[in-house]
Amino acid sequence: MLLRHDGFRRLCRAREVLAQLDGPQPSIEALAREVGISPAHFIRQFEALFGVTPHQYRIQVRLDRAKQLLAVQRRPVTAVCMDVGFSSLGSFSTLFSRRFGETPTAYRRRIRAADLVPGCLTLMANLPNRSFREATGGDSRDHPENHSRSNACASS
Amino acid sequence: MRIKLTSVMVDDQEKALRFYTEVLGFVKKQDFPVGEYRWITVTSPEGPNDLELVLEPNANPDGRAFQEGMFRQGIPVAAFEAADLDAEFAKLSAKSVVFTQPPTAAGPVKLAVFADTCGNLIQLYQPT
Repeated sequence: MLLRHDGFRRLCRAREVLAQLDGPQPSIEALAREVGISPAHFIRQFEALFGVTPHQYRIQVRLDRAKQLLAVQRRPVTAVCMDVGFSSLGSFSTLFSRRFGETPTAYRRRIRAADLVPGCLTLMANLPNRSFREATGGDSRDHPENHSRSNACASS
Repeated sequence: MRIKLTSVMVDDQEKALRFYTEVLGFVKKQDFPVGEYRWITVTSPEGPNDLELVLEPNANPDGRAFQEGMFRQGIPVAAFEAADLDAEFAKLSAKSVVFTQPPTAAGPVKLAVFADTCGNLIQLYQPT
């Protein structure tokens, strides 16, 4: 498929709109109208260009944001679920597990407990260090594990 | 020192592995878990067989901004050489690959640009 300049531009723009989680969330049909092609055509072209359908892309963006929020914030899973635009905790949890291989709760528990595994070039820049080591903040005394870790740091 | 690895950032490693092997025809060389991601490399059956392309997860928001910016501006992030560009264009088009530029003469080469479905534009060129 050959996608000339204008068509390519409009599909990129549609992707940017889909990536916005704040503010109005136009329907796929409305986006297709903006691109100037039929919904079926829009979905087909979008998928050929980006490897996922517009709907799948929007879900991915929401799940990726949720993952970040789960790691850096202390808000309950239900609140994170609503923040990124899901209305059902059940479907959020199912979609999250399918994409990341574990439930939102399991992910949060693991990421807060784990020391970082050295990764390849860019993996670990995703999250600030404090989200792993200091995010427990004032209540670190409630967690013997954190307490002993900070002692270890202080004495080294 | 030698150049042994080069990489493209991809938005989904599994999708990337499928595209770079099944659609482009590269061969998987390495694939093992690294933390929550994978170290995946492919080589070209047309050689050189010790030069590996890393399909690197683009998990860094700044990396994503770069990738999306380059894509939006129509700028390829990598270039592969084709022995027969028109044949590659026909073969990839038949596999629903999106080209943003058909084979076009440009000085000492003929080139085309396609989307890798993982957030990148790739240039294919053939020396003329």
